[in-house]
Amino acid sequence: MIRIERNPAPSAATLALSYVGACVMGFAISALLIAATGYDPAEAFGAIWQGAVGSQTAMIGSLVKATPLILTGLAAAIAFRARLWSIGQEGQVYAGAMAGWCAVLLVPDAPALLLIPLALIFGAAGGAGLGAVAAGLRTRYGVNEIISTVMLNYIIVYLLSWLLSGGAWGEVGATVSYQQSPPAPEAAQLPNFDDRGRLHLGFAIALAASLACAALIARTPLGFEIRALGGNGEALRRRGVDVGRLTLVVMALSGALAGLAGIGEVLGVTDRLRGDELYGLGYAGVVIGLIAGLRPIGVLVAGLFFGGLANGAVFMSVLSDAPAALAQAIQGVLLISILCGGVAARTRLRRTVAHVG
Amino acid sequence: MSADLYDGAIVVSILAATLRTMTPLLFSAMGELVTQRAGIWNMSVEGAMLSGAFAAYIAIATTGSPVLALLAAIFAGMMVSLLNAILTASLKVDHFVAGLALNLLAAGLTLFWFRAFISGRGQPTFDGLAPPDWALADLPVLGPILFAQRPLTWLAFLCVPLVWFLLYRTRQGLELRCLGENPAVLDFKGVNVVARQYAASLFGGAMTGLGGGFLILAFSDRFLPDITAGRGWLVVVAIIAGGWRPLGVLAAVTVFAFLEALAIHAQVLGLGLPHQLFLAAPYIASLLLLTHLRHRDRQPALLGEVYRRGER
Repeated sequence: MIRIERNPAPSAATLALSYVGACVMGFAISALLIAATGYDPAEAFGAIWQGAVGSQTAMIGSLVKATPLILTGLAAAIAFRARLWSIGQEGQVYAGAMAGWCAVLLVPDAPALLLIPLALIFGAAGGAGLGAVAAGLRTRYGVNEIISTVMLNYIIVYLLSWLLSGGAWGEVGATVSYQQSPPAPEAAQLPNFDDRGRLHLGFAIALAASLACAALIARTPLGFEIRALGGNGEALRRRGVDVGRLTLVVMALSGALAGLAGIGEVLGVTDRLRGDELYGLGYAGVVIGLIAGLRPIGVLVAGLFFGGLANGAVFMSVLSDAPAALAQAIQGVLLISILCGGVAARTRLRRTVAHVG
Repeated sequence: MSADLYDGAIVVSILAATLRTMTPLLFSAMGELVTQRAGIWNMSVEGAMLSGAFAAYIAIATTGSPVLALLAAIFAGMMVSLLNAILTASLKVDHFVAGLALNLLAAGLTLFWFRAFISGRGQPTFDGLAPPDWALADLPVLGPILFAQRPLTWLAFLCVPLVWFLLYRTRQGLELRCLGENPAVLDFKGVNVVARQYAASLFGGAMTGLGGGFLILAFSDRFLPDITAGRGWLVVVAIIAGGWRPLGVLAAVTVFAFLEALAIHAQVLGLGLPHQLFLAAPYIASLLLLTHLRHRDRQPALLGEVYRRGER
């Protein structure tokens, strides 16, 4: 007889195997999906591969796309580690972009050396502020953070839409429906490592943030408290830790990372504030955080992977008429299969010998 | 005099729009209320509603039949909730993670499928559900508000007493509520806990899918990738703010729908406020509702807790 039982501490090999199996499964399902919509899976994957890493320009483009995803992925991972199910990264990206834009509006004539750090600090603070609101709603009023962050996401997107179309920030003379600000001053544009592909300072920030988050979670007292809050909040409370304050710190930190992603896109890629360019970065970060098993270095890897996928999918959509939204579909499918893979790793089959006599 | 008439017409129009916008929310909220009372913290409502709307769109764009479109919507909603039940009731994945994942899956799949569907031919439009054309609809005031509504709107309102009756006056309802409070008791009795949770999930998914189908067939002549625009989340808020009781949920849904109806009329009302403020109003209201209504004690005791036989 074979019994199914739980295996709370699977070995590294089991975990790796289930992970690889889940990825294979995810891609197989994605291939079926592509075939079902009338495209050739081999051609589509080939085009994505070529568009992601096929040339130097493609690779740089992938790194640029990966930059905000790594930051929002880290934002999700930090919050989820503390079992704070914040999906406010989406709104915090917008809040960061808007707060950073405020800095640009405040001192538009400042030199780059002053303006860029200021805009980045404002951006991080904007995201952190929105995260802090959700933390306050949870601690003060007991509002579930998933719901409050979703509501704040919608509210902040409408706020930006108002500022850009009817309000003070829109580009004068442009069609209202464009919903964009005038271009940023040259001094505000993030420095590039590569002139053709615009691999900007944000990528270095994302790399540094991954390492910093890994060190934070593994090696600092705050990291210990975050992990403890995720494990058993009650025990932490009994030890005298102020859980409300900790929640605030985690949510603000998570928001700051997402806010950096937002201002990085504005000053590194689009050079002006536009809502549509920021859409979906936060939700993709949730996928990346979960797929990476909430590990910062895993987020870095997954962020690079999905950056390549997004970049490759755009290339594919230019090459054929297959829609670039395939990237989002593959993201969703991979997420579900990796969740199931995680369950499979924590389950074992044991052959039980029937007792005779 | 003519100004009064005009104001009166606006009020009638807003009230009629309120009932219309309540419809998808009510279907979904009554379904998900049942799911939540069974102990499943379903966070995939938004994804199920979006899938329902998309399935209805594909069905009506290819067959032209609203009935088939509604059936497709119900089916799609059930598929999402089936996945949610597999992940939560069988695989014991955290309810929040499962719900988030399914929303992201639904958003990604519908966006891709939609773009693939319209690729190279432009978006087909369709004739959705028209309100009935009968004598009662011509009554002053009450006609447009009550009788010029689509029959599904009446059905949605009928669902409130029906779900109340199911939950509080039937044996199945008692057992269902017990799933959310103390599933071990049902397990001892020999009731299959997991099967019941599947049933409650599928009911919720069907109703949410139907809501999504109504949303697109009654409000639009085309599909938009974010057509649900957070309505699934508003449903979750309505259930919490309504204290997991049918009448409370109805009240919360009314608030959201009224605010949405105001947004539709923002231009005619001409209050000089930004249009975006009207659009954001339901979400602002939901935060206010959640901060000021506290029904922790009414929450099903084991909502969102993974049930494993022999533990706890």
